[in-house]
Amino acid sequence: MSEGPTYVLEREFDAPRALVWKAWTDPDLLTRWYGPRVETIVHRHELKPGGLWLGEMKWDGKSNYQRVEFTEVTPPERLVWLHSVSDGDWNVVANPMMPDWPRVLLTTVTFEEDGERTRLRLTWVPHEASEAETACFAAALEGLDKGWGAGMELLAELLAELQA
Amino acid sequence: MEQIGYETGPKALDAVFAALADPTRRAILSRLAAGEAAVNELAAPFEMSQPAVSKHLKVLERAGLIERGIERQRRPARLKAEPMAAAVSWLEEFKQFWSSSFDQLDGLLEELKTAEQRDSGHE
Repeated sequence: MSEGPTYVLEREFDAPRALVWKAWTDPDLLTRWYGPRVETIVHRHELKPGGLWLGEMKWDGKSNYQRVEFTEVTPPERLVWLHSVSDGDWNVVANPMMPDWPRVLLTTVTFEEDGERTRLRLTWVPHEASEAETACFAAALEGLDKGWGAGMELLAELLAELQA
Repeated sequence: MEQIGYETGPKALDAVFAALADPTRRAILSRLAAGEAAVNELAAPFEMSQPAVSKHLKVLERAGLIERGIERQRRPARLKAEPMAAAVSWLEEFKQFWSSSFDQLDGLLEELKTAEQRDSGHE
């Protein structure tokens, strides 16, 4: 079976694996780093397969909700979950700006020990996605891979300007 | 069913930027941002022939920046660039979300390590 379009993000942390794992899975620690410069509230956090992590993030005076369902929890090396944008009642919703953005992204995080350091690898794959969702994700990936992100920002700016 | 906006490999993105490089085509997009228009409506303000405008519209259509209506006579053109631009910038935002979060995690881990060392120092 083909894996389909996959986004990979890698990062190395200067801390032992047990500590990195703890920072990822202890909700009190999670709220201290997850979500850049935004207020993060963890409404529910059940670290087990089938458990939910319901999160709220506030920016621009607005609440943004995410619904995460853990599918695999293997301490301290592997964490897998289904990631979705949700409404305030934790129902999965489509991205209002982009109806074809995959509703559910299968997120896999692996923690690899390297002495006192930890190599982290995070991947996203559209989960049970429609053809349009997969195509949308693949197009975004290609755009990002080729460094078109900045170009696309310029395009978005230009469009905003044209529409002003 | 062809979804022009999302059939966007790197080649298609090249086409987008090539299409945007021409001032007349940018002006046409600007006009279409105000609402759909047929070829003759587009040709008038540019003092161009309709075939010349049609040529520009073809370039824009191939780049996925506009779509054409199906009415046989009029075939109005509509702006259509947002889906693609939005998809890329959304993933970019996702990536930035994690990168900035990871920067914060770096700081937290440093703090936790220091706390652990201090605690073990007391033993």
